[in-house]
Amino acid sequence: MQDSQSPSNVFAGLPAIAADRERRASVLEREVVELFDQLRGPLFRYILTFGLPVQDCEEVIQETFLALFRHLTLGRSRRNLRGWLFRVAHNLALKTRLRSRREGLAPAEAESPLDGIADPALNPEHEFQNAQTRRRLLTVYQALPEQDRRCLSLRAEGLRYREIAEVLDMSLGSVSVSLARSLARLTRVSEL
Amino acid sequence: MEHEEHLSDSRLLMAIDGELPERDAVRAAAHLAACWSCRARKQELEGAIAEFVRFREREMNAPVPPAAGPRALLRARIAAVTANREASRPWAAFRIPTRRNDAAAALVACFCLIVVAMVMKDAIATKGATAKEWTRRAPAVFVPDAHLTPGATVLVGRQDVCSSAAPKNRMVPVSLRKQVLDEYGVGNAEPRAYEVDYLITPALGGADDIRNLWPQSYAANGWNARVKDALEDRLHDLVCNGELDLTTAQREISTDWIAAYKKYFHTDRPLGIAQP
Repeated sequence: MQDSQSPSNVFAGLPAIAADRERRASVLEREVVELFDQLRGPLFRYILTFGLPVQDCEEVIQETFLALFRHLTLGRSRRNLRGWLFRVAHNLALKTRLRSRREGLAPAEAESPLDGIADPALNPEHEFQNAQTRRRLLTVYQALPEQDRRCLSLRAEGLRYREIAEVLDMSLGSVSVSLARSLARLTRVSEL
Repeated sequence: MEHEEHLSDSRLLMAIDGELPERDAVRAAAHLAACWSCRARKQELEGAIAEFVRFREREMNAPVPPAAGPRALLRARIAAVTANREASRPWAAFRIPTRRNDAAAALVACFCLIVVAMVMKDAIATKGATAKEWTRRAPAVFVPDAHLTPGATVLVGRQDVCSSAAPKNRMVPVSLRKQVLDEYGVGNAEPRAYEVDYLITPALGGADDIRNLWPQSYAANGWNARVKDALEDRLHDLVCNGELDLTTAQREISTDWIAAYKKYFHTDRPLGIAQP
């Protein structure tokens, strides 16, 4: 820390500009951290559907919010930041998966996070039925085309059709068709 | 339109989700009021939504790890971005060049310190109360015995420990854990009083070896396991940012981790913790 006098090297008048910039940066930082607190969970769950390991998901989310900070620092559009975050995270996740596949690291499919999770509130019979329904749901869910799974996950995270269309780069009409198709398959779970 | 066609699944879903344009929504509502089969289908879709939501809650909530660490990391990175931008601004060129980078580094370091202090505060707030109860009954071990635990490393380089596939802190196997506690003569202590910890963390190339494991007290105050965890993160960052040599980091943490903490956190006491 030998640089304690370096601010005095800045020309007179500049410190005020610097202070202003710092203040703006810290306002933006607070905003980004607030969004991080709000949306890390939803983004994390969404990124998990790409079959990435947990630490990669974490890294994708870090990169996403850093990109948001840069985006806001440059004064770019603030319209629908939630959709923006999902879109950036989506693209970064694809890139990460591509890279790790090329290095032969990532599994082709997400592993089932299902095993070993039991609801302690249920009696054995209910638990058995419950486990069966879950297994069926999982089977149906995993058999869905990737794009349909994405649509469904994004909708479940509360995104509107228009936002989903933007994230996945598809038309509004195909979003509703995709969601309806997935749900139609899921309605058949109880009949299996 | 008296005999309107049935609503398709996607129209029904749009009606459920409030995605229909207003005119269509009114028409759909009228049709649903008149048509039992469409109403039944709508209920099926809603049932599938409910089922899926429950399924997701159960399956997906479990794996999301706590946010405190990642949040701190994000803040440190934002600080680094800000510092770099600062350095690359045109007017920043008016400064003496050699000092420009120092100023940026100092800014990053300050932010890191704040961030680490905050993380530790969080950790203590959640676990401190119970920690106090059981540490009272156990002898405190803050420094490893140099004979029993000299530290051991595996042959890895900076790239290995900094790649995304690098080993994170692992659980110590139960049998090994027992051996370590016995070795230190605290085999009978309350198990939660100690973290059997790597002296050199695997994240810095530490080995799965009894010579690299020691029982560290979770004592609520002072130089405890959580403080050392913070040092490990700090050293890992420094190594991966190219500011510190990996072997130096390994040596310093294994010879005297408390001295290393004081050095790298520029402090005499554990940050974010009242003096014992």
